[in-house]
This record gives sequence, structure tokens and C-alpha cells, in this order.
Amino acid sequence: MKRIDFSSLIGFFIGVALSSVLVILFKENPGDVLKVLSGSFLQSKFDMGLTLFYTTCFAFAGLAFSIPFKAGLFHIGAEGQIVLSAMMAAVMGIILPESLGTFGIVLICLATMVVGILAAQTIAFFKVYKQGHEVVVAIMLNFIFAAIATYVILQNYQNPESQNPESALINPAFQGAKADGIKTFFEQSAVSSFLLLAVLSCLAVWFFEKKTKWGMEIKAYGENPTAAERMGISAKKVNFLALGIAGFFSSLVGLTEVLGSTFQYKVGFSPAYGFLGIVVALLAQGHPIGILFSSFIMAVLHKGASDLDLETQFLTRDFSKVLQAIIIFCVAGAVYLNHRRVKRDA
Amino acid sequence: MSPEILLGLVLATVRMSLPILFAASGGYFSEKSGVAQIALEAYLLIGAFTAAAVGFQTQSLILAYVAAAVAAAVMAQIFNILIFKFKANSIVVGTGMNLLAMGIIPIVSKTLFESTGSTPALDTSEAALKQSLIMVSVTTVSMMALCYWIAEKSNWGLQIKFAGEKSEALTSVGVNPIKRRWQAVTLCALITGVGGAILSTYLASSYSPLMSAGRGFIALAAVIFAGWNLRKAWIVVLFFGFAEAIQIQLQNMNLAVKIPNEFIQMLPYLATLVALLLLRNKQQAPKEIS
Repeated sequence: MKRIDFSSLIGFFIGVALSSVLVILFKENPGDVLKVLSGSFLQSKFDMGLTLFYTTCFAFAGLAFSIPFKAGLFHIGAEGQIVLSAMMAAVMGIILPESLGTFGIVLICLATMVVGILAAQTIAFFKVYKQGHEVVVAIMLNFIFAAIATYVILQNYQNPESQNPESALINPAFQGAKADGIKTFFEQSAVSSFLLLAVLSCLAVWFFEKKTKWGMEIKAYGENPTAAERMGISAKKVNFLALGIAGFFSSLVGLTEVLGSTFQYKVGFSPAYGFLGIVVALLAQGHPIGILFSSFIMAVLHKGASDLDLETQFLTRDFSKVLQAIIIFCVAGAVYLNHRRVKRDA
Repeated sequence: MSPEILLGLVLATVRMSLPILFAASGGYFSEKSGVAQIALEAYLLIGAFTAAAVGFQTQSLILAYVAAAVAAAVMAQIFNILIFKFKANSIVVGTGMNLLAMGIIPIVSKTLFESTGSTPALDTSEAALKQSLIMVSVTTVSMMALCYWIAEKSNWGLQIKFAGEKSEALTSVGVNPIKRRWQAVTLCALITGVGGAILSTYLASSYSPLMSAGRGFIALAAVIFAGWNLRKAWIVVLFFGFAEAIQIQLQNMNLAVKIPNEFIQMLPYLATLVALLLLRNKQQAPKEIS
């Protein structure tokens, strides 16, 4: 029986404790702040729905980070892929004729996924053929994709009834999520059936990593590229495969937003899902089932932080970023300390 | 195109290049020492905010610049401790640093000035602007001279480079490569923090939220675009500054054909990718960068 590694959880609690100390420095009561942060989602079914919507997005974004991470790739390009694929979903939803009905939804999904995957493969292309560092390429692509998405939406599909930079609503025929059971249960909150998909995805990724040949190859390559290549695992294939899967999950975040929640593209809709995904995946140490839990924890904090504006005098919603940063630091540190202890024991 | 517009464009290019120039010079040292640096954005933001806040409180530009450099350097110590003592991944921590800067500034600003957005405006009288211009010119020239001397002439700079290329060589002459990396990252934050100060006290007269607007990443792109060469990086910075200047110029002119803003904004990033596509510069990256 493998011992479960709790170091990231310990890091998480140290992070929360340190943040509480910080809260005291800003002359707030840490108990109150923690209560707001953790209790905000319980206020109503609507709030719970919003939290679960964040959970959905965070889980997809976490998977989009964790799979390339297993292959030794630091994938921070999810943000750009999310924005670009959400744009694609909105554009398809506007231009496809209503008569397509459910088939139209399938088409939207397919087109969005293709865009997400291709966007991620761009990184793999530079990595494999041009020896560009994936982080650098991803940062550049994030800016480029965001610019393209904003341009396309504002120039061609701006909502005529709104002053805000956002696209028109997608065809009512494609707003099927409005009637789905989960959304109705949570009083038309942002959450939708994509939540189920997120749970299934985490399970599927767990299976993929544990039981399939491709999953094994990705892991083997990540642990020791030289040895893996000697055993006949192609570096090219691993890069394209891992980033392709990441792009697929990034595109699901875009779909969750456009087909599941707002039914339009709002410029700046993403509270940096791509980067939050990194926190989620690190907190779970890349374990797909763990990602499900850590995305829920992060969603609760994220939802709670938006209430800080009202509930406290000095803290703002930006405190969630500080909290995330401190959690990243503590988890990164705690994981190392644990590795060192395990090594010493062995 | 009339000469006035041309001159205006040249001056705007130089002005817009300044923060990127500082961040790129800082980033150069960190990258050369073998530490991948994506937290330049954080140092710029902290520097910009500190300079605007201190400048407003003390009415002294020199203090503002010094405070900006020190604040960024102090913040970089979090990065250093995690990277070197806890062996954390520099990109993970760098991501955290950027989040920390973005999150902590509005809270501090609210505590100090009762506003989450901008800091109060600095003095913008003619004399103050002139003083600011002198201050910026002196700082920029001395920064460039200092960086050039460290990178090309000094023993210490050579050791920083060795820390990134072949750290065993350093160990064999009795120098701890971790120490050199630590110093390089601190130097990086000091320089980049001053770049932030220029951003908020010279290019603007107050701090506004997220005013670095990706310049830290553009600076990193410049360093890579230039193949980790300091002087080439400075030239690349001018090009990126030109892209920003022309964007402002085009907004002011009413052209018949509108070039979309978004395209000009993404020019530096696109250029970096094209450079990666055309050049084969895998040899130029520091060998032990991580």
C-alpha cells in the first residue's frame, strides 16, 4: 500500500495560516476573513451553483496543466487556448443556423475542441521543431490569442444592445444548458451539466494515466526523457500528445463558459483560469482525482474572495490572488521538504 | 510624414522603451545565471507602486527610485529562498510572484490611500517634469553603463555567466554557484524595480492598476529574441518600444485605413515567435537554465 502524500495539503494549511497573519497586518480579524472565504458559497443555492461552476472550470484547467506536467512540460498556455476556444464557441454559436438544433451544439463543441487542440499544438510545434522553450512560446501565444479573440469579437460580433465589450448571444437553439437539470436545481446559476463532464474527465484521465500505453509513455518520458527515448518512446509524439490533451481540456473551459453559463463571449471573462489551473494541479500534485477536490477548495476560496469587498474594510477581492500565491509558495516548499524526508528515510 | 511627427515618434520610442529596457537588463542577469525569470512583471509592478507611493509621500524622486529598487529586491528574496533553499521550480514560483504582486498592491493601496485603483497624482508642474527627465536620463545612462561593465568586464559578471553555463567550473575555483545566482536574481529585481519607478513617475504621474501591461513578459521576450545577448537585447527593446510608440501615434492620427489596435499590441509577441521560427538559436540559451 502506497503511503498517501499529504505534503501539499500541509503546505496548503501553512499557506492559509500565513495568509491569516497577513490579514492581521491589515488590521482585519483573520477569523472573520476565513469565515467569509469559506462560508460564502453556502449562502444560497445560487452561490453554490457559482462555486460549482468555478469548480468545473478549475478542474478542466487543472487537467490542462497536469498532463503536460507529467511529460515534463510546464504548460502555462491554457489561458490563451481558453480564450481562443471560447471565442470560437461564441462565433460558431452565432453564425450556425438555428435549424441545426442539437446537431449544431455538437458542431460547436467539435470546432471549439479543434481550435483548442491546435492552439496547444502550436506550443508543441515550437518545442519539437524549433527547440523553443514551452514557457516562453506559451506566454507569447497567450497574448496573441487574447488579441485575436478580442479583435474578432469586437469587430464582427459585438453585442449591439450592450456597451460592454462582449459578443451577441448565441442562437437560442444552442442554449440547451438553460434547461438542464443541474442548472435548474441551482436556480439558474452559472453551473451546468459540464460539472458532470468535469468529474468524468478526472476519472478518465486517472484511467488514462494508470492503464493506457499512451499515459504510461507520457509519464515515462517525463521522468527520464533519455531513457524513454532509448526505449523507443518518441519525444515528438509525447509532446504533441500531452499538449493536445491539454488543449482539449482548455477548450472545455471555453465551452463551459459559452455553452454552459453566459451564452456569449465577454472580453475578460476569465479570471486567469489558466493560471488558477496551475495552483489546482500543484495542490493535487497532479493526481486527477485530487484535482477534483483541489478545484473545489480553490473554487470556494475564489467565490469567497469576491465577497471580501463588501464584508471587510481593507481587504479586496484581490486577496484571493495573494492567497493563491502564498499557497503556491507553501505547497512548492512543502513538497520539497517531504521528498527530502522520504529520501532520507530510504 | 512631417519632421515633427517623425521626431515625436523617435522620442516616444525611446520613452516607451525605458521600462522594458530596465526589465530586460535585469532579466538578462537572472537568465544568464541559470534562473528562468518570468516574475519580471511582478518586480515592475512593485517598483511602480512603491515609487508612486513614496514619491507622493516624500516629494522626492531619488527616494522614490531607491524605494522601488529596494522593494522589488526584498520581494525577490521570497523567490530566492523558495528556489534555492526549497529547490522549488522557478516557473512555479515566478507564477506565484506575479499573482502576489497583482494581489497585494490593491490591498496596500486601499490601506494607505483608501483607493484600490490609482495612487494620488504626483506633482506635474513644469519644474517637476524637468527634474523627472533629468533623473530618468541619469539613471538610464548609469544603469546601462553599469550593466555593460558587469556583464562584459567584471569578474563577478563572468562568474554569474558561468553559474548558468557550467556551474561545476565555478565550484572548482571555490565559488558557490548558488550564491552567484542568488545575487544575480537580486540584481535583476533591483534593476527591474527602477524600471517600474520610471513607469509610474516618468511615463505616468501615478500608479494605475496593472500598469505594467505585460512589459515584463515583453522584456523576457526581448532577452530571448536577442539570444541572451545584452547589447542585442537593448536593440530589440527599442524595436518593441517602437511598436508601442507607433500604436499611440496611430491612435492620435485619423488614418483612412484603421489598423486594429489588437494587432499592433501583439506585434512584439508575434515577432518573438517569428524569430524563434527563423533562427536556430538553441545554442545560445544558458545551458543550465531551469
